[in-house]
Amino acid sequence: MSVSTLRGAGGPDPDDVGRLDRLLEDDPADLYENAPMGYLSTVPDGRIVKVNRTFCEWIGRSADEVLGVRFQDLLSMGGRVYYETHLVPLLRMQGAVREIALDLVRVDGQPLSCLANAVEIRDDDGAPLLIRATVFEATARRRYERELLAAQQAAEESERRSLTLQMVVSDLAAAVSVEDVAAVIVERSREALQARGAALVLVEADPHDPEALPALRPVRSDGVPDDVLRELREAAGSRLAVELARGVRTIALTDQLRADRPALAAAMAAAQLSDLVVVPVSADGRRLGVLVLARGDVAGDLISLVEPGEGAELATASVNLLWTIGRQAGQALERARLHEQTARQAARASFLLEAARLLAEAADVAETVELVAGLVVDRLADLCVIDLETDEGLTRPAVRHRDPGLAHLVEELRSRHLPRRSATHPSVRALRGGGTEWIRAVDDDFLRSIAVDEEHLAAMRALDIAGVVAVPLTVEGRQLGVLTVATDRRRGPFTVADVEVAEQLALQLGLVVARAQRFDLAVRTSHALQRNLLPPAPPELEGLSIAVRYLAATRGVDVGGDFYDVVRLPGDEIGLAVGDVVGHDITAAATMGQLRSVYRALLADGPAPGAVVERLQAGWPLLGLRRMATALFASLDSATGRLRIASAGHPPPVLITGGRASFLPVPPSRMLGAPPSIADEWIGVLPEGATLVLFTDGLVESRSADIDEGFAALLHAASSAGTSDPGALCDHLLRELTGPHRADDIALLVLTRV
Amino acid sequence: MGNVLERNCVRLGGTPDGRPMVFAHGFGCDQEMWRFVVPEFEDDHRIVLFDHVGAGNSDLSAYDHATYNSLRGYAADVVAICRELELRDVVFVGHSVSAMIGVLALQEAPELFGALVMIGPSPRYVDDGDYVGGFSRTDIAGLLEALDANHLGWSRQMAPVIMGVPDHPEMAAELTNSFCRTDPDITRHFARVTFLSDNRADLASVHVPTLVLQCSQDVIAPEVVGRYVHEHIPGSTFTQLAATGHCPHLSAPEETAAAIRAFLPG
Repeated sequence: MSVSTLRGAGGPDPDDVGRLDRLLEDDPADLYENAPMGYLSTVPDGRIVKVNRTFCEWIGRSADEVLGVRFQDLLSMGGRVYYETHLVPLLRMQGAVREIALDLVRVDGQPLSCLANAVEIRDDDGAPLLIRATVFEATARRRYERELLAAQQAAEESERRSLTLQMVVSDLAAAVSVEDVAAVIVERSREALQARGAALVLVEADPHDPEALPALRPVRSDGVPDDVLRELREAAGSRLAVELARGVRTIALTDQLRADRPALAAAMAAAQLSDLVVVPVSADGRRLGVLVLARGDVAGDLISLVEPGEGAELATASVNLLWTIGRQAGQALERARLHEQTARQAARASFLLEAARLLAEAADVAETVELVAGLVVDRLADLCVIDLETDEGLTRPAVRHRDPGLAHLVEELRSRHLPRRSATHPSVRALRGGGTEWIRAVDDDFLRSIAVDEEHLAAMRALDIAGVVAVPLTVEGRQLGVLTVATDRRRGPFTVADVEVAEQLALQLGLVVARAQRFDLAVRTSHALQRNLLPPAPPELEGLSIAVRYLAATRGVDVGGDFYDVVRLPGDEIGLAVGDVVGHDITAAATMGQLRSVYRALLADGPAPGAVVERLQAGWPLLGLRRMATALFASLDSATGRLRIASAGHPPPVLITGGRASFLPVPPSRMLGAPPSIADEWIGVLPEGATLVLFTDGLVESRSADIDEGFAALLHAASSAGTSDPGALCDHLLRELTGPHRADDIALLVLTRV
Repeated sequence: MGNVLERNCVRLGGTPDGRPMVFAHGFGCDQEMWRFVVPEFEDDHRIVLFDHVGAGNSDLSAYDHATYNSLRGYAADVVAICRELELRDVVFVGHSVSAMIGVLALQEAPELFGALVMIGPSPRYVDDGDYVGGFSRTDIAGLLEALDANHLGWSRQMAPVIMGVPDHPEMAAELTNSFCRTDPDITRHFARVTFLSDNRADLASVHVPTLVLQCSQDVIAPEVVGRYVHEHIPGSTFTQLAATGHCPHLSAPEETAAAIRAFLPG
């Protein structure tokens, strides 16, 4: 639009038009000097050769002060670098730049935000001659842009934080154990803060000693050097719990810290950490521990933008995030602990159940303690020692270590019975005091105080014992012995729950030992009784060679009612008997004793064997014998070999002549204790050199459950013995027919007519 | 390794059987910076130009923060390019930060290189005790802010256009400030790695003939820094240029080329 068009419109006052014309016929110099933008020209190296007043006024310098100065020297440091790295190359290569954001530095040092456009004037060969630049003030626009950028960054930060929190919550939902929780918290918080490392340290109060300083246990540490953590714990010490209440704290590596906590500062410096952020972990006001974040230069090998000695400020939003993570962690920890407690109870119940099962299966005290010791080192502790009070005094029947490779050390312990006089030994104290002794932290002084000698001390040191629990085996107020368990430093100390398990186990073990000791007593008594009831040795008889054997059953308290008897009768006659009272207990043994006495009494009348059977059958109810029995009775004329045998339900004897063995067909009558019947006899002659074998069924039932197989085996063994010496034959038969375990007693009587 | 040449937008020129010269651009631009200097060497050298990953027409998708969190990541690329082209006795010409990248490449594969030309080198920009680098931490923070301010004009939609038309400069010319543009995140990270590295200890490992080209009035690499580099590289040559600023190969290509020529044998 031109002025003449305006004039043609006819509206404005001619004088005004004249003024407008004058104004519009710009003085080019005035237009240049006072244009609403900075205007300047430089030679290629940036030296200003022409500049307008607007620019000079903006930066507060006169034109004389500006001319000859390089344009880049009027810029902020960041602007200068940008000028050199971007603006210069761009101008050279594309001849022009537009809307470059730069900060000019005014004479008073204040920055002036500008946008610059520039063109490069070139000669015909393309070489640069001059740069013309226009500069627009852009303070408001740049402020707006900065705010926009800040808002965008804040939004991104906020999104990142809420994402972090989301992930923490969802990860924690899947965390079952305290270790799981710690892993989530450590990883996520480290990520969120881009920290060098993170560690979760829990406060653990001692339930047995509420007065004691709470222990600080690092549950998980990732990237936080051990010595930093240790020094932090040292520095915080017992006050940590109090400190926790103060919220998220930053411990920066400053001169102050170097002065106050030199060890901590040194550890941080060595790890190139700038600060530690300590976040309380709590649940419902209970302070459970702290999350420690170790921050260093996040740029890795790059130089930190933070001045050395200045801790980087933690943004409020980050503090809030960490605080929330701490509380989430606290709740998750409580949940995990509850879960672990339940799991521990289940494990405890299963352990004790397993122990009960093993104890029920054990046959005697020796086996019982071995089984218990094996179970303990498998599930509860590293070392198990069991001491028992016996008739011979205090014995140490079981010493076991988890690691079989340490058997030589364990042997050192086994060979040293509990030193009764060492009143400090926890096992002695438990035995005397009747209560559990728990040594939570074993140190060398303690080991020295309980050691018997140097070898003993060396063995205990080598086992690296960290904790000891001794529980007495108390039954009906009497201490039968003591169960001592120990852990080494690898497994760590016993927990309260472990001690409770040990106590439960000792209770079970005590009852079983008591029962087993009674049982052992009963077995010993029965065998003693039985030994006393049997005749000491067969008498020497002319023309006859006789051997007897009696083998008790090997398992349990099984006491047989088996017996044999050899008695000289008037003339050349001798009486022979072998019998078996039903049952395996003291009653059976007692019945057998009675039966043998009655038999001896009957012999005074000189009855034939058949008559012996008949009389015993008839007299059985009168004698008050409560058990039935089988028996063989025989009489033998040692001069003529005339032999008479009667059987009361007993296996027939074996006759061996000329290397051939056969059963004598003795007609069986009823068992003793059954209603009376007629007892027939086998009557014949035992030839010279022939051998007669009388036995109880233990001999033929030992190897095989099938009695016919047993009989066949007996005949085979008897015919293949190759000897007619009764003693050798006895041994041969027992060797061939019985194993190491016998369910029943065996009585064996072998007689050879020489 | 076959895609190394594409990844770094490697361009070859000059005399195929000539001594190889590898030109490495510094922070802020790309291989275009060498356009005024390269013709001086085309007659008797094999010219190898490339863009660092993240700059120019390199494959931006190959940019990885972890790999390029150290200048060693860039040095490994230089070595890979030389190996791919089976170069020997290379004259490595590095501008600004690439001068130090050259030092690290020499460390990694000394058998590949025969000479090193460092234009405006600085082993550490941030002052440290008695060491003068020329910058305080606040200065670097200001630089990062300046980069952010200029990236506000960056439009992601334009990126493929800019990156996709290297062979059609007339199309690229339509775009304002089309050279030296790249993704803001990458630029910012490259700036951090460039200006926050400390490679002073690596200088002593250089054992090839080395030329330190020092500009006048260089705010980025002041003379005291150039002298430091010269003193710490055994047997190096120091040449003071009359050219001012930080880019003598742009502002004074003849002087720059002549200085390099004088340094190279023959």
